[in-house]
Amino acid sequence: MKKPVKKKVGNTSLRFRFRFLVGFWLVCACLLVFRAVDLHVMQHDFLARQGDMRNLRIEPLAAHRGVITDRDGRPLAVSTPVTTLWANPREVIENREQWSLLAGNDVLDSAELARRVMPYSEREFIYLVRHLAPEQARKVLDAGVPGIYSLTEYRRYYPAGEVAGHIVGFTNIDDVGQEGIELSMEQTLRAHPGKKKVVRDLLGRVIQDIEILEPAHSGNDVRLSIDLRIQYLAYRELLTAVNRHKARGGSVVILDSRTGEILAMVNQPAYNPNNRAGLAPASLRNRAVTDVFEPGSTVKPLTVAAALEANMVTPRTSVDTRPGSIRVGSKTIRDHRNYGVIDITTVLTKSSNVGTTKLALSMDEHMLPALFEQFGFGHSTGIVFPGESDGMLPLRAQWRDIERAALSYGYGLSVTALQLAQAYQVLANDGVRMPLSMTRVSQPAVGERVLRADTARAIVSMLETVVSTEGTARRARVNGFDVAGKTGTVHKLTENGYADDRYTGLFAGVAPADDPQLVAVVVIDDPRGEAYYGGEVAAPVFSRIVTGALRAMHVQPEKTPGRFAGGDSPGGRT
Amino acid sequence: MVLDRFALFDAPRDQLLLVAVGCLALMGLVMVTSASLQIAETRLGSPFYYALRHGFFLGMAVMAGATVYLFVPFSLLEKLRYPALFASLVVLALVLMPGIGREVNGSQRWISLAGFNVQPSELAKLGFIVYLAGYINERQQELREQWQGFLRPLGLLSVLVLLLLMEPDFGAVVVLGVAVMGMLFLGGVPTLRFLLVGLAAVMLAALVAVAQPYRVARLMSFLDPWADQFGGGYQLTQSLIAFGRGHWTGAGLGNSVQKLFYLPEAHTDFVFAVSAEELGLLGSMIMVSLFALVCWRIFRSAIAMLEAGDLFRGQVVLGIGLVLAGQAFINMGVNMGLLPTKGLTLPFVSYGGSSLVVCAVMLGLVLRAQREFEPASPRRRPAGTARRRRP
Repeated sequence: MKKPVKKKVGNTSLRFRFRFLVGFWLVCACLLVFRAVDLHVMQHDFLARQGDMRNLRIEPLAAHRGVITDRDGRPLAVSTPVTTLWANPREVIENREQWSLLAGNDVLDSAELARRVMPYSEREFIYLVRHLAPEQARKVLDAGVPGIYSLTEYRRYYPAGEVAGHIVGFTNIDDVGQEGIELSMEQTLRAHPGKKKVVRDLLGRVIQDIEILEPAHSGNDVRLSIDLRIQYLAYRELLTAVNRHKARGGSVVILDSRTGEILAMVNQPAYNPNNRAGLAPASLRNRAVTDVFEPGSTVKPLTVAAALEANMVTPRTSVDTRPGSIRVGSKTIRDHRNYGVIDITTVLTKSSNVGTTKLALSMDEHMLPALFEQFGFGHSTGIVFPGESDGMLPLRAQWRDIERAALSYGYGLSVTALQLAQAYQVLANDGVRMPLSMTRVSQPAVGERVLRADTARAIVSMLETVVSTEGTARRARVNGFDVAGKTGTVHKLTENGYADDRYTGLFAGVAPADDPQLVAVVVIDDPRGEAYYGGEVAAPVFSRIVTGALRAMHVQPEKTPGRFAGGDSPGGRT
Repeated sequence: MVLDRFALFDAPRDQLLLVAVGCLALMGLVMVTSASLQIAETRLGSPFYYALRHGFFLGMAVMAGATVYLFVPFSLLEKLRYPALFASLVVLALVLMPGIGREVNGSQRWISLAGFNVQPSELAKLGFIVYLAGYINERQQELREQWQGFLRPLGLLSVLVLLLLMEPDFGAVVVLGVAVMGMLFLGGVPTLRFLLVGLAAVMLAALVAVAQPYRVARLMSFLDPWADQFGGGYQLTQSLIAFGRGHWTGAGLGNSVQKLFYLPEAHTDFVFAVSAEELGLLGSMIMVSLFALVCWRIFRSAIAMLEAGDLFRGQVVLGIGLVLAGQAFINMGVNMGLLPTKGLTLPFVSYGGSSLVVCAVMLGLVLRAQREFEPASPRRRPAGTARRRRP
C-alpha cells in the first residue's frame, strides 16, 4: 500500500523534472535555430565577403601576340603556347624532403632546383624554367614537388628564320618587340591579356569562373608587303654574291613600283631570330634602312632627269666629253676613258662623269638638290622602321662648282638602299613617287608627281642601254624581259678620306622596262675579291632575283628567250 | 526457432521516429558524398572512396540496429549491464595502450580492427548507459535517500571520464556527463544533492580556470575566431563562412566551395557546415527539426516508461535520447561557433563507422524498448513492475 503512494508522489516530481529536461533541450534547439538564422541571413554579407576574400582570385586570361605574315599570308612570326615553371621558394624549401622526387629529372633536377631556390628563401615567386614545351614542363610538374607551379606564356617562332629576320625582328622573353616590325608595330601586335575573377580551391585549382573583368584581346595580325618567295630568292642570291665576292656585307631592296610596297628587303650578314645565342650585334642591323652610302653613278639618271625636266636637253642631245676629263675648280673629274662626243643616252650607257658634270654645271645651282630632295633623299622614307637613317643631302645657299659636279655623279650625299630604291620607283612609276610601305597596300595611296611622265619614261628607256652589250651592266640582263638600270661603283669613305681600293658595288634597276613593275637595288659592300664594279658584283644579283621575282609575280615575258643573243635591244643606244 | 522469431516480427511502434532517422541518414549519405568527393579524389585517387564506405557503414548499421531490435531483449541487456560496464572500461583502457590505439591529430581515440577504425568512446557511452539504467532501477530507494547512492555512479563515471580525458576526448566526456546527469536527475536524486554536486563541479572548473588560465583562453577562443583566423580560429571561420554563403536556400547541392580543402574535416565533424552551405538556412532548419523530432520521440517514450515504473527500459531510452541530443547539439553548436571546437560526430549523419553503428544500435534499443513496453507483446515484458500507461 505504501509503494503506490510513493510512486505517485515520485511521478509528480518525475513529470516536473521531465518538463525541466525537455525545456532545457528546447532552449538548446532554439539557440541552434537563432544562430542558424543569424549566420545564414544576418551575417550573410559579412561571411560571404570573408569567403570571397579567401577563395576569389583574379586570374590572367592569356592572349597571344598578333601574327606577322607576308603579303599572301605565309607566317613570318607566330606565337606558340609554352609552359613556364615558377616556384614559391618558401614553400619549396619547406618541403625539402620531397626534392628527391626530381632526382635525375632531365628538365630540372633536384640539385638545380636547390641552386635556384636557396638564394631566394624569402621570396614567393621566382622563375624556374621559362618557355618549356608543355610535355617537358609536365615531367617536372608530375614529380609533384610542392611549391612548383606552371603558367602559360607565348613564345615567338619565326618560320622564315634568317630570311626575313631583319624585317620581322624579334621579341624578348616577355614578348615585347625589340627589333624590326616586332618593335615598330608593337602597339598593333601586342597582346592584351585580360583578367577574370575565379573561385579557387585551397590547392589553387580554378573551380568556377565568376566574371570576366577585362576581356583578353589578342594582338592584331600584321600583313606585310613582303612576298616571301621573292624575299627568299633575294636572300639566297645576296648570300651567294656576298660570299663569292668576299664582301663585308650587302643589301637588296625590291619594291613594287606601282604601289610603293616593299616586296623584299634582305641584308648580309643576317641572323636567325629563333636562335640568337652568340649573335654578333653588327648582324642585327637592317642595313637597307640603317646604313648609308654615297650612291655614286646610280644617281646619274636623276641628274639627266633634271636636265630633261628643265627642257635643257633631249635624249639625243650631244655632249662633248673630250678629252675624257674636265677641270672643275682645283679638281679634275675623269671618265673611265675618253668617250668623245656622245649623246645624253650614251652618257648614261657609259656612265660618263664628264657628261653629268657638264649637265649639272649648266643648270640652276639649286635645281639638282631640289629634285634629289623630291626623290626622297635626305628624308625618312616614311616606313616606320626602328633605326631608319634619313641619309644626308646637303642643302646649301651657295653651291661651289665642284660640289654641284660631285652631286651630279653621286658624291657628297649619302642615301640608304631603300632611299635609292624609292628614287628609282619614281622613274619606274612614270614620275609619281608613291609612299613606301612595309605592310600590304590594298588601296594604293595617291602619289606625288616628281617628274613628267615622258621624262620618267625617257630615262627608263635610256637605262635599258646600260644593260645592253654596250653598257656597264650587261650582266643585269633578264631572260625574256627588257630591264633597265644603272650601276654604281663607289669608293668607300673611311677615316682617311676616300679609300683607293675599297668600294661599294651598286646596281639599281627597274623591270620590265616597257611596263615597270619592280624596282630593285643591290648593294654589295666592300667586295674584297677580284671583282668590285657594280656591274660585276651587283648586276648579276639583280638579274637572278628579278628573273625569279617576275616569274613569281606572273609577269608575262615580252620577248622570246635568246632574242638578245645578238646583243641589241629595243631601247638600244643611238 | 529462427522462423519462430521472425514470425514474431513486429513492426516498430514508432514509425515517425524511424522515418526521421531515415531522413537524417539519407541526408548524411548525400552530404558525406558531396563533401568528400574532392577530398577522396585528391587524397586517394577515387572520388567515391568515402561515399562507398559510408554506404557500407550504413548497411552495417542497419543490420546491427535490426539485430538488436529483433534479438536482444531488455531482460538480456539488464543481465549484461556489469559486463557492459567492464567492457567499456577495458576498451577505453585499451585505446590508450601504445600499439593498440591509433593516434590521429594528437588524440588517441581509435582502435584498428580488421581494416576499420573503432572508436571505443562510442561503445563506452552505450555501455555506461546500460549499467547506469540497471543501477537506477536496482537502487531507486538508495538513490533518493542516500548520498552514496548518488555518488557511487558518479565515482564510476569519473573513472571513465579520466580515461576519456587521457585520449583526450572532451566531446565524449561532455556528452556522457550530460547523459548521466540527466538520467540521475530523472532517477529521482534529490534536487539539493544535485545542486551541491553541480556546485562542486562548477568550483572545480573555476579552480582549473584560475590555475591554468591559458586553457580557458584557448577554450574561449571560439567566441572570436576572426582574431586568429589563420591559426586556431581557421576551422571555425571556414565553417562560419560556409553558413554565410548558404544564405536562404544554399549554393546548391554539390556547389560548396568550403569543402574544397578550405574546411578541414568537411565530411566528418563539419558535415553540417557543408550541408548549410549547399542547402542554406532551409537545409539547416530541416536538420535541426529532424533531430528535435528524433529526440522528442525518444524522450516521450522514456517518460512513458518511467511513469509506468518500467525504470530500466525507461532509463536506457532516456540515456540514449540524451546522448543523441547532446551529441547533435554540441556538433551543430560547434559548427556554428556556439561552442568550443570539439571532435564530435553528428549522429546518423557524419562519416564514421563506429558512430553510425552505435547510433543504429541505440535506435534499435529504443524501438525494442517501445515494442516490449507496448501491450501488444505482454509476454516479453518482465513480470511485475511494468504497466501500460493508458488502458
